[in-house]
Amino acid sequence: MATKLGDWMDDRTGWRTHHATIFLRKIPKINWSYTLGSATLFTMFIQIVTGILLTLYYVPEPQQAYASVSYITNELPFGWLIRGLHHWGASAMVLLVVLHMVRVIIYGAYKYPREFTWITGVALLLLTFAFGFTGYLLPWDQRAYWATVVGTQIGEVTPVVGDTLRAVMLGGEEISGLTLTRFYGAHVWVLPSLLLLLVGIHIFLVIRNGITSVPKRGE
Amino acid sequence: MGDDADGPVDEKVGPLGPSIEDESSDDQGVSRRKLLAGSVGIMGGAIAAGIGVPAVFYVAGPSQEQQVAQEWVRLGSVTSVDSAEPTLMKATIERRAGYLTTTEEFSVFVTTENGTDFVALSNVCTHLGCRVRWVEEQSGFFCPCHNAVFNRDGSVATGPPPRPLDSFETKVEDGQIFIKGV
Ligand code: HEM
Ligand code: FES
Repeated sequence: MATKLGDWMDDRTGWRTHHATIFLRKIPKINWSYTLGSATLFTMFIQIVTGILLTLYYVPEPQQAYASVSYITNELPFGWLIRGLHHWGASAMVLLVVLHMVRVIIYGAYKYPREFTWITGVALLLLTFAFGFTGYLLPWDQRAYWATVVGTQIGEVTPVVGDTLRAVMLGGEEISGLTLTRFYGAHVWVLPSLLLLLVGIHIFLVIRNGITSVPKRGE
Repeated sequence: MGDDADGPVDEKVGPLGPSIEDESSDDQGVSRRKLLAGSVGIMGGAIAAGIGVPAVFYVAGPSQEQQVAQEWVRLGSVTSVDSAEPTLMKATIERRAGYLTTTEEFSVFVTTENGTDFVALSNVCTHLGCRVRWVEEQSGFFCPCHNAVFNRDGSVATGPPPRPLDSFETKVEDGQIFIKGV
């Protein structure tokens, strides 16, 4: 029965070939450091699921942001768990993506023909940081506020366009409700769209180019 | 598995890995691949359940909350109730939705036969929730949405409503009428 359905589907989608291409592809003899990219990917899925759950209650509005976050954490059943996973998952993802990049550097896995994989990787690294930066403001407490003050002033030292850059980031001269909504919009719509697109390209390239083997002495 | 990918391309296998035919070409009962796939499946299921089950409680959370703080709500003085026809009495209640508390106007019809026993009827039609009003000529509560009529005691006279108007438990204290269960 199951195989019959599988055949029917395969005839129309070719899923067996795709499944084999993705999961049964040949890989060289490698070690645990090669799992760091997958670990990052896994963390990303956790962030997506817990992040969507948080949007059910979080309100990106100055009067309500903090209250809605403390409602999630202190009153909702398992709210502490969902928020905690998202909070620690964010740090874990930054850590993992950096370690993954270090692995790629150490093994020289960025070389021909994987330069473009590397370039999409750099974009993914920046996106991961951007997630952290925009997400940090959302609880709208003192720490969030001052971190954003500091973060945007770092942006301000950019030559020539610094002032404009900060004003655009904040939606004005100072942090306000406009800053909160644009950080929220970036955090839940702009960045996730870009992340998914780039992760798709990144993984496609990993599969299409195959994975590097551990370099041998003198290579 | 564990083959050197740099080696020549295996004809049967092709550059993209083994074809599906030789998946279970293992003489032991359970192949390494099957075992690994199985454990990944079990771990994945456990993680999905570990988030999924709490998520159900998390999503359902507010539906389990007590929304109205006061148990007994004061409607007003007993003397304001007309014994001839149902009197619409207003009260404000505090309704809590998550971390927000809002005050809400709220009306009930109060009837009395003798000035000491009171019946409090909801003014919400039991059909689809429109507000009913008392129509003296018909001596009934009329719902304009689908022309339903309820009798003075709340029972359905005509129209689509499936049950009588909801009623509230009442009590009188210091000449004030209170209702319960808003
Ligand atoms: C959201 C972030 C990222 C995800 C989800 C991700 C995911 C992956 C996965 C699953 C692989 C397969 C091999 C492995 O796991 O090591 C991989 C390979 C690779 N990644 Fe990433 N990655 C991310 C960020 C980055 C970054 C920041 C860089 C470098 C700037 C990078 C560069 C590469 C390169 C060059 C490869 C090919 C490595 C090889 O063939 O051995 N990636 N990535
Ligand atoms: S809602 Fe009152 S009759 Fe339909």
